[in-house]
Amino acid sequence: MKNLIKEFTKGIIKENPTFVLALGLCPTLAVSVSVANAIGMGIAATFVLLGSSIIISLVRDFIPDRIRIPCYIVIIATFVTIAELCMKAYSPALDRSLGIYVPLIVVNCIVLGRAEAYACKNNLSRSFFDGLGMGVGFTLALILISAIREFLGSGQLLGHTLVKGFEPVFVFGMPSGALLVIGLLLGLFNLLKEKRT
Amino acid sequence: MREMARYGFTLALICLVAAGLLAAVNALTGPKILAAAAAEEQAGLSQVMPLADKFTAVKQGTDETVLYYKAFDRQDKLIGFVFKSGGKGYSSVIQSLTGMFPDGKISGIKIISLNETPGLGMRVTEEQFTGQFKGQNSMDLAGVQAITGATISSYAVMDSVMQKAKEIKELIKNDK
Repeated sequence: MKNLIKEFTKGIIKENPTFVLALGLCPTLAVSVSVANAIGMGIAATFVLLGSSIIISLVRDFIPDRIRIPCYIVIIATFVTIAELCMKAYSPALDRSLGIYVPLIVVNCIVLGRAEAYACKNNLSRSFFDGLGMGVGFTLALILISAIREFLGSGQLLGHTLVKGFEPVFVFGMPSGALLVIGLLLGLFNLLKEKRT
Repeated sequence: MREMARYGFTLALICLVAAGLLAAVNALTGPKILAAAAAEEQAGLSQVMPLADKFTAVKQGTDETVLYYKAFDRQDKLIGFVFKSGGKGYSSVIQSLTGMFPDGKISGIKIISLNETPGLGMRVTEEQFTGQFKGQNSMDLAGVQAITGATISSYAVMDSVMQKAKEIKELIKNDK
């Protein structure tokens, strides 16, 4: 049990997909303009990670090694489409603001990366906690980046104005601002890691 | 050769299961998606033409694309039209819904889809901007002020509304 908890928590800080593994940065740059977007994207990506990790771990002995990548892609794409259809049906507003980035989870390298590096070599329960941890880590990273960007870029958090009279720094609302924020946070993570060792 | 057949069979099996699963999810969510889109459209229509009680779509061609909507009041009297227009903004096509009285005056507009810069172009959805359209002549939006720092997005909305209004007026003329 202790091991399983470790599998879960490593995705949040020690092997955080965004800040430590530096995977899936493209959607991170694109959707982190607002906290609402970040939460929606995080939940969708976690669902896909969890689903594909479970299925790939279950069928890992059945899939021949040489065609594993197409098999993984089909499995991942299935979960992405399910997530997209559900989002369209139950939260059309969120679907509209995330747009193309939901179907693009298919090529998010966190998902394929975990399938290839973890789920195809480990049993069901370990893969489950790995997928969940990575998903939560990705979601938290997105929320952190988008909170900084939304506050500095438009003076708001989750659409509510926090400080009256705060002059927004527009660059943080643009992709260049996303690069700045992610770069500084990556540096901060590295600094903290160095201090610990 | 036998290996090859095994690979093909495995992949086909996975695809088959995936397709079955997706068909099931689609059957479950399909009606909900259509209902959500229809409800959203109705809400948008009554938002830009609050006086209307009922809308009927005017369609064209074999694919039944909606040209515009006619708005009727409680006594089934035609009180105006609602049309959709889209213009290229700074980083997306900005689509809006416009309500227009028969004399060409605008009853209200609503931005329905866009993906502009947050804090700048995104502000075209705010009442401060869309509210200005009320009572304007749809052919000449001279009284509408563009948002500071977001002129491209603002003009995209204004130009697309003016252009579409002209087209719709022609259509209505021919309809009579």
